[in-house]
Amino acid sequence: MNALELEIFNNLFASICEEMGVALCRSSFSPNIKERKDFSCALFDPAGRLIAQAAHIPVHLGSMAYAAAGVVEKFHPGEGDVLIFNDPYEGGTHLPDITVLCAVEHGGRRVGYLANRAHHSDIGGIAAASMPISKHIDEEGLRLAPTSLMEGGRWNESLLEWIRGQVRTPEERDGDLRAQVAALHTGRQRLLEIVGRYGEARVQVAMEDLIAYAERTSRAAIGAVPDGTYVFEDVLDDDGIDPGPFAIKAAVHVNGDALKVDFAGTAPGVRGNVNCPMPVTVSSVYYAIRCLFEKSAIVNHGSFAPVEIDAVEGSLVRAVYPSAVAGGNVETSQRIVDVVFGALHQALPTRIPAASQGTMNNVAIGGFDFLRGRNFAYYETIGGGMGARPHADGLSAVHTHMTNTMNTPAEALEQHYPFRVVQYSIRRGSGGTGRHRGGDGIVREMEVLVGCECTLITERRLYAPYGLNGGRPGKRGRNLHIRKGRSEELGPKVHVLLEPGDRLRIMTPGGGGFGG
Amino acid sequence: MRIGVDVGGTFTDFVFVLADGALRYHKVPSTPSDPSSAILRGLGDMLPSLCEDVEALVHGSTVATNAVLERKGARTGLAVTRGFGDAFFIGRQIRPSLYDLDVPLPVPLVAPADVVEVQERRTPAGAGTDALTDAEIARVVGVLRERGVDSVAVSLLFSYVDPIHEERLAGALREAGFSVSTSAEVVREYREYERTSTAVVNAYVAPVMDAYLRRLQESLTGDFRIMQSNGGSMAPGEARRLPVHTILSGPAGGVAGASKIGHLAGHPRFITFDMGGTSCDVALHDHRVSVTSESSVEGLPLRVPVVDIHTVGAGGGSLARLDAGGALVVGPQSAGADPGPACYGRGELPTVTDANVVLGRLSEKHFLGGRMQLHADRARRAVGTLADAMGASLEDVAAGIVRVVNSGMERAIRVISVERGHDVRDFSLLCFGGAGGLHAVDLAAGLEMPRVFVPGSPGTLSALGVLGADVIKDLSRTVLGLSLDAIEEVLAALEREGRQVLAREGFSRDVRVERMVDLRYAGQSYEITVYYSSGFENQFHDSHQRVFGHCNREAPTEMVNARVRLVVPTPSVEIPEIAPGGEDAAGAIAGTQACWFAGWHDTPIYERDLLRAGNVVQGPAIVAEFTSTTLIAPGMSGRVDGHGNILVEVKR
Repeated sequence: MNALELEIFNNLFASICEEMGVALCRSSFSPNIKERKDFSCALFDPAGRLIAQAAHIPVHLGSMAYAAAGVVEKFHPGEGDVLIFNDPYEGGTHLPDITVLCAVEHGGRRVGYLANRAHHSDIGGIAAASMPISKHIDEEGLRLAPTSLMEGGRWNESLLEWIRGQVRTPEERDGDLRAQVAALHTGRQRLLEIVGRYGEARVQVAMEDLIAYAERTSRAAIGAVPDGTYVFEDVLDDDGIDPGPFAIKAAVHVNGDALKVDFAGTAPGVRGNVNCPMPVTVSSVYYAIRCLFEKSAIVNHGSFAPVEIDAVEGSLVRAVYPSAVAGGNVETSQRIVDVVFGALHQALPTRIPAASQGTMNNVAIGGFDFLRGRNFAYYETIGGGMGARPHADGLSAVHTHMTNTMNTPAEALEQHYPFRVVQYSIRRGSGGTGRHRGGDGIVREMEVLVGCECTLITERRLYAPYGLNGGRPGKRGRNLHIRKGRSEELGPKVHVLLEPGDRLRIMTPGGGGFGG
Repeated sequence: MRIGVDVGGTFTDFVFVLADGALRYHKVPSTPSDPSSAILRGLGDMLPSLCEDVEALVHGSTVATNAVLERKGARTGLAVTRGFGDAFFIGRQIRPSLYDLDVPLPVPLVAPADVVEVQERRTPAGAGTDALTDAEIARVVGVLRERGVDSVAVSLLFSYVDPIHEERLAGALREAGFSVSTSAEVVREYREYERTSTAVVNAYVAPVMDAYLRRLQESLTGDFRIMQSNGGSMAPGEARRLPVHTILSGPAGGVAGASKIGHLAGHPRFITFDMGGTSCDVALHDHRVSVTSESSVEGLPLRVPVVDIHTVGAGGGSLARLDAGGALVVGPQSAGADPGPACYGRGELPTVTDANVVLGRLSEKHFLGGRMQLHADRARRAVGTLADAMGASLEDVAAGIVRVVNSGMERAIRVISVERGHDVRDFSLLCFGGAGGLHAVDLAAGLEMPRVFVPGSPGTLSALGVLGADVIKDLSRTVLGLSLDAIEEVLAALEREGRQVLAREGFSRDVRVERMVDLRYAGQSYEITVYYSSGFENQFHDSHQRVFGHCNREAPTEMVNARVRLVVPTPSVEIPEIAPGGEDAAGAIAGTQACWFAGWHDTPIYERDLLRAGNVVQGPAIVAEFTSTTLIAPGMSGRVDGHGNILVEVKR
């Protein structure tokens, strides 16, 4: 295939993923998938290599690429089979992210695989929203190693029944899973149409060529990074069980057009929930590298062929069973990006920004709402400051790096939950000073109108987001529990009981400054 | 005489409907710095010779849009509930691009220092937990006066439940001489950020719109109306009060015109395709113009009904290049108006238009009626540089550029159809003027769409749509948690309010009322709008089944918004029939030129104006007219219908 056709086939393959995404979004039940778009869809070649992906959430980007090949090799799904999995130790990331995958055949020959991954807001476990301060993976919810959800076109009803029995919202889970499978069918139809129109041989050549093409663009981007070894280290505050800090260290070796990230020197796994499964670590590294490509670059298996990642098994960034991982996906992933960027800054001092807020500020509140006579479970993440750039200030009050999900409007929140939003503002002056200022964080203060329990999984409360080239660090975040006018400072990861009239004041970190 | 005027980026188009129903067209260059001067000039050209009184003049205005794009609106202040001074700047806390470290800092329409927090607070139940005192109102007025703003947006929490606090504050501000927009009068729906953003845009453009309309009205007589983004029109008084309703009206006229012509030709299901220099607008039309209340301008959400149009960043001026990995890519960078495509005489880099010139698909003689010279040699040189770099032939590269740009548009059209629950194969492709006709047949073939529909005189489609636009007043109110009785009361109140507004503008007869509600399953966040009549819940389940692929008739639903649309029909415009002829179209052939379709073909050039009803144009063929060119591939043919539309049956 020549240069003329690359973009044409790229558009065709990308549209398969987009249409799967539209189908999933349309037919799913839960707001988390429909409105926050916490899902992604992907197409793989017959060898399980990523060809195209529609990802709204960066943390899905690399983990999907990483997942399929192993799963496909081990479980050999046939035509009419659908595999389901969420096990962080076998292809997954954290338990709420459930992936379904199927094979597509044309004339008895395998032409590719399709998969989609969606965040389910409840998959059981010991806490509402399945985001607990856990010590063991099994406290976080149900765990599925790759298993048949459909076999030869028939639903595995006993498995569905079992899933329904494990969760708090069985109808919603059922609907969302069926939507995920419906989306696979949409993708399958489109892939078969394309194979019908262009022929199987040409489609396989196109897949091969697109992988080679993406590898070339990736090597060109990496080749532009000066050779050398760049080392950076940063820390996590704590793990909710034991005090920190826990070090994450990366040595980025750039050699011509290849790059290796070695996490030697990173702390061993911890008792709490910030252990990070390898696919999430890979995702975080891929995210950082993806930011070096052109905005419109084609991303597939080839893009990451020049990238090698080394991490000690059982370390914080390569969790082993049965470590708790609920916070790995949302918090540790952010710190891995900080560390890789910190190293890359030494090689690319005019491109890499200072540290962004480095946390997603996870807030989960649940209990019985006697005002409305029902149980409730609420989960949100809060934006903060983006790190200052070498040529510009950082953005204020946005989600950075590994996530980009929307907030819930105060008018929707107060309509549905026993809360009152007291303040929602930019935390002025929280961005690190410097020639360019880090973006400011957010202040979000809520009063609860009924007694309830609250879980916070946050970071950068103890150790601030770094500045670069003499820029000052961003301000650390703070979690405050205000009762009858008296305010108590909470730790980064806590479970607290709130009484009616209590207020929770979350002040998110600012981004680091750039330049003295 | 009735007049429709469409102000485009390059030309301002006029349609005159004379007392006997005859149509006259006119076109003058647009005057972007003050669009009214092109309007007045065009009228000055024509009115003396037409010798008829002007009954009505409707025009599409880009004044509000340009004020936002160019940041030339009024200095605007914002009054919000205490604790929420920054909510407008935080927005939905998302960044615009996932992997872009260089994402630009937003330039807000309101300076942070011009925001004032107001001591007051209400709850979803509508009760004031914190009263708004007269002293506080006086303080807020004082602060805004000191800041020196001209226009003020007032947006208080839960004002959609009860706007009394906003109204009291607005009253005092108006008395103090400010132009004021309250969030509840602009869009009385829940979700504070979107409502605030809509109010801010309204406040920002209101003084500009006011001055513009005043200037224009001084020079005009008769009934005078402005095009709205929802495909209807509005009186100048409403346009002054709620200019935000005109922000996305540019493409609405075209879709409204297409709607009329599609129905007339018996093809009411189509996707419009309007390709300009830098971008391309597509809209799905399933028997009626689709309207959405989710749109944005410059990243700022607007929650007013607008024609549902999707824009793709590829047009005739999109630049073709080889990227770092050696793939031929087209856009999103564009040669723009300056320097423009290489063939226009100044640019050096190859564009989609240059590729079409290399392939012999534009007639040099007919391009813009021969007013503008096409430099084919420059186009060949520009595309040739790329061909040399790729080691491919000039024609292959030019054809490749066209295929790449088509594949991107194909992807966009697929997604909008699937998103709306439709199969693209059930729709015609209706292509507007400009560059669209060069790509439409290929595009339709790739999408397996059965036919391409090129309306007669596509250049004036928008002006026709504008002229035929009914007067429409849309009102809405969030009714979350209200009883059915209370919702009925809200619908009645909205209708009363709408009728008052219309009466104020002189429309009190022939008002048609449509009542609608937005429904969703309890706990979900996706609403579907259905007509409020007996069995509306079944209607909701049916729509849910069609759009989302499933429904649950047992599940509890909740009503989110009540909507009322009042329509005052305007006299319809009769599209004249063209002279009949036989199948033989040879009489319209003005020459031939070599044109590339996987090999060079001698291709006749037909003059659109000379085609007769019943003519069949056999491909390969180029059909040329003043502002557009239609390409018919070998093996296909286009039939001219009674109104001068060309219908190409697409073969795969």
